[in-house]
Amino acid sequence: MLEHGKIDGKQAIFLMLSVVLPTAILTIPAGIVRTARQDAWLSVMAATLAVLLIAWLVVSLSLRFPGKTLCEYAEEILGKTLGKIVCLLYIWLFFLYAGSGAVRQFSFFLVTAMMPETPIEVFSITVVAVAAYAVRNGLEVLCRFNQLFLPVTGLLAIVFFLSTIEMKPARLLPVFDAGLLPIVKGTVMPTMLMGEIVLLAMIIPYLNKPEEAQRIAILSALFNGFVLTASTLEALLIFGPDLAAHWIFPTFNAVRVISIANFLERLESVIVAFWVLGGFVKVGVFYYVAVLGSAQCLNLKDYRPLVLPVGVILVSFSSFMHGENIVDMIYYISQIQVPFMLIVFEVGIPLLLLIIALVRGKGGQSS
Amino acid sequence: MLKFIKPRRAGMMSRGKSQSRDERPTNKPDQTVTSGGSSKKQVLTPDLETNLREIKSILNNCSDVVYREFVFAQNEQLKLALIYTDGLVDNAQVSDQIMRALALEVPMSVPGQQITKARALEFIRERGLCIHQINESAQLEDIIRSILSGDTVLLVDGHATAIINKARGWEMRSITEPEAETTVRGPREAFVESLRVNTALIRRKIKSPNLKVEALRLGEVTDTDIAIIYIKGIVNEKLVAEVKSRLERIEIDGILESGYIEELIEDSPWSFFPTINHSERPDRVAAMLLEGRVAILVDGTPFVLSVPTLFVEFLQATEDYYHRFLFSSAIRLLRFLAMIITLTLPGLYIAVLAFHHELLPTALLLSIAAQHESVPYPVIIEVLLMEVTFEILREAGIRLPRPIGQAVSIVGALVIGEAAVRAGLVAAATVIVVAGTGIASFVIAYNLSASLRLLRFLIMFLSAFLGLFGLISGLAVIGIHLCTLRSFGVPYLSPLVPITGVNLTDTLIRAPWWAMFYRPRLIARQNQKRLAQGLKPSPPPSRRKG
Repeated sequence: MLEHGKIDGKQAIFLMLSVVLPTAILTIPAGIVRTARQDAWLSVMAATLAVLLIAWLVVSLSLRFPGKTLCEYAEEILGKTLGKIVCLLYIWLFFLYAGSGAVRQFSFFLVTAMMPETPIEVFSITVVAVAAYAVRNGLEVLCRFNQLFLPVTGLLAIVFFLSTIEMKPARLLPVFDAGLLPIVKGTVMPTMLMGEIVLLAMIIPYLNKPEEAQRIAILSALFNGFVLTASTLEALLIFGPDLAAHWIFPTFNAVRVISIANFLERLESVIVAFWVLGGFVKVGVFYYVAVLGSAQCLNLKDYRPLVLPVGVILVSFSSFMHGENIVDMIYYISQIQVPFMLIVFEVGIPLLLLIIALVRGKGGQSS
Repeated sequence: MLKFIKPRRAGMMSRGKSQSRDERPTNKPDQTVTSGGSSKKQVLTPDLETNLREIKSILNNCSDVVYREFVFAQNEQLKLALIYTDGLVDNAQVSDQIMRALALEVPMSVPGQQITKARALEFIRERGLCIHQINESAQLEDIIRSILSGDTVLLVDGHATAIINKARGWEMRSITEPEAETTVRGPREAFVESLRVNTALIRRKIKSPNLKVEALRLGEVTDTDIAIIYIKGIVNEKLVAEVKSRLERIEIDGILESGYIEELIEDSPWSFFPTINHSERPDRVAAMLLEGRVAILVDGTPFVLSVPTLFVEFLQATEDYYHRFLFSSAIRLLRFLAMIITLTLPGLYIAVLAFHHELLPTALLLSIAAQHESVPYPVIIEVLLMEVTFEILREAGIRLPRPIGQAVSIVGALVIGEAAVRAGLVAAATVIVVAGTGIASFVIAYNLSASLRLLRFLIMFLSAFLGLFGLISGLAVIGIHLCTLRSFGVPYLSPLVPITGVNLTDTLIRAPWWAMFYRPRLIARQNQKRLAQGLKPSPPPSRRKG
């Protein structure tokens, strides 16, 4: 096996939180409020239910092939050539694309929020370099690092309470103003972003108790949904649907309004600094699965020689594939990336694989 | 000629040759007992003159070795010879209990009896010597080593066996208060330079037959005594085997301090962080042993190594366990804060002043900006200047004789700080930051603060280039690095990461003794329970009703 480390259930859940939340918490509120307006929080809740289905799909597929990652069982189900093609599709169009998207988003955000005069590449290279150090040391280290800093980021939840004074429940009314359709439309984007937990398909073989996978997937989907609903609600309660849709990063702006005793104010730089730690993990996980998948696809004995080249690809993808500026990027995410990712990689291929596996009778015990 | 006496440099020894290992019998415990041995080794002959000549030729030009020849009181034909190193033996014991007994007093115990040459050795061993511990050996190598270790060797004419008397005694420092780990409450004794005294100090604390003290010798030339101490039944047997195998592969000319061993057996030689802890306090080492660790004692140094080592150990002081737990927990949190300050405060200062003015309240920002008005260069240069000055002063304070050292460190810092601010070289705020960082670094254990002091400079540079983002990136790299570290197979950050719930009682806080039920789970794997349940004290039932 390429990876010798084992992770426990708690670490896997934490990892899935860091995969989804760091970027989603920034982009989701504005994106949904634009379509679903003051009912955006209902969209996120509905999306959580949809993600539970995705989680169930991916985990039951993985459990049919114990000890194998997505790249390995795709070959077993579809045969060598087709399997490798599916594997490469996942690596290039999902892991690397979404990973570089995360890099780009972070870099954009840091440039916008903290250091507008610094070239954006400085940030993307630094983020990828730090992630590369973790990836080189394997999944176990990545998970431990995540576990180390997550409590710190958890403290950021306090910020939510610090801004309650600005909140007005009336801003959520009227409910169902435009009927059900905008809410359903608003569901698509959060489903896709939370659906990134399909990465579990690459990680389940390294759980010390793989039979817990179903529980892990459900818990992480629920927790992600909870946090995102809360942050959408926060943006709505503070700014109302008009203003929230106007901001690019409403969650970030929500922090700006905090002012307590003329001392606790302008906390945003501190928040950003801590939240960057989550970004390292998010990029790290995508980076890791890309490296691991490539090594399995190429039948290598060690994935470490691939860390540097894949890192270079991540940086260059982040510079060329995600638009010129942040507005472009948000547009790409909501208009192009969402349907493509969601339909093809998060639902389509796994569902297809599961059906073919069932028809051809591949895989061991079905759960 | 004996091979092990030849000085050989460790670097020159080729590890591939199996022969070099065969030539060194030094690593087997207790060689003084007569054992078969290989035929290659030199042995004694029955002739006293030949033996003496042989030993003298080996110990040629060693003017501290004393040869004392005399005759046996019961039989004047029987020649005896005592060989010992002057200064390493207890002179009173050698003259009274050996010389006096053999040369004068033996006739009193068996009046009128003539002891023949053939029976002499047995007689002397059984009735002639008043020494508490003796050994016998025919191996020249053992004999030479015994002489140089402080034993007194008695050669008997006509016998190819020497009697080795343990009448050691030399000038040494008495047991004093610990210098490096002082406490307000707790035992006031520290280890000394003598291995035997140190093992005794531990034995006095743990009177269990399960406290094992295994002996080992390391160093081709210095032949230093090492003791591996652990408590059987608590310790993980695999750990003991691992410690032994790591020690046994050491081939070096000399071991003068436990630091040599530390660097030769640690898990991550390139890491900034210490993965082996040391202590000069017997109570601390005893506590480590009770938690299932292995202690490594080295003759000639009061610093005892203990493995495996966890990161949190460096934030814990022995005293924490003696004071009441609320106070101890508060102090531990304070140390944690001090650790973060040591690592990040100068970096944070640079980042805020160079990039993130908005984080400071306006009044403070104005005052700091006014101070920087007269300073002609960027903040990073200013902070570097003061940090380096501070490190120099600190080093000067340690190296100088103690009375001068303190004066230099305090007065020097004040004068230089004050003068530098007046002269417009640095801002007053910078001096405050550097001084605060310096004081914070004194709060945590010395070996951790040493690595943090180095990493602080890395953080400073990153902050100067990339502001808070640089600072966080630096912390992330350090965090990832800490996650990769292991000490003898135990994750360095445990029990924090991976999280071990039951052991969190003794990390950044210290739970009361009646709640610390378990030993560190990843260290004492087999035997974890250390405390009975339900020991929490409560008032007697009669009082409770009223």
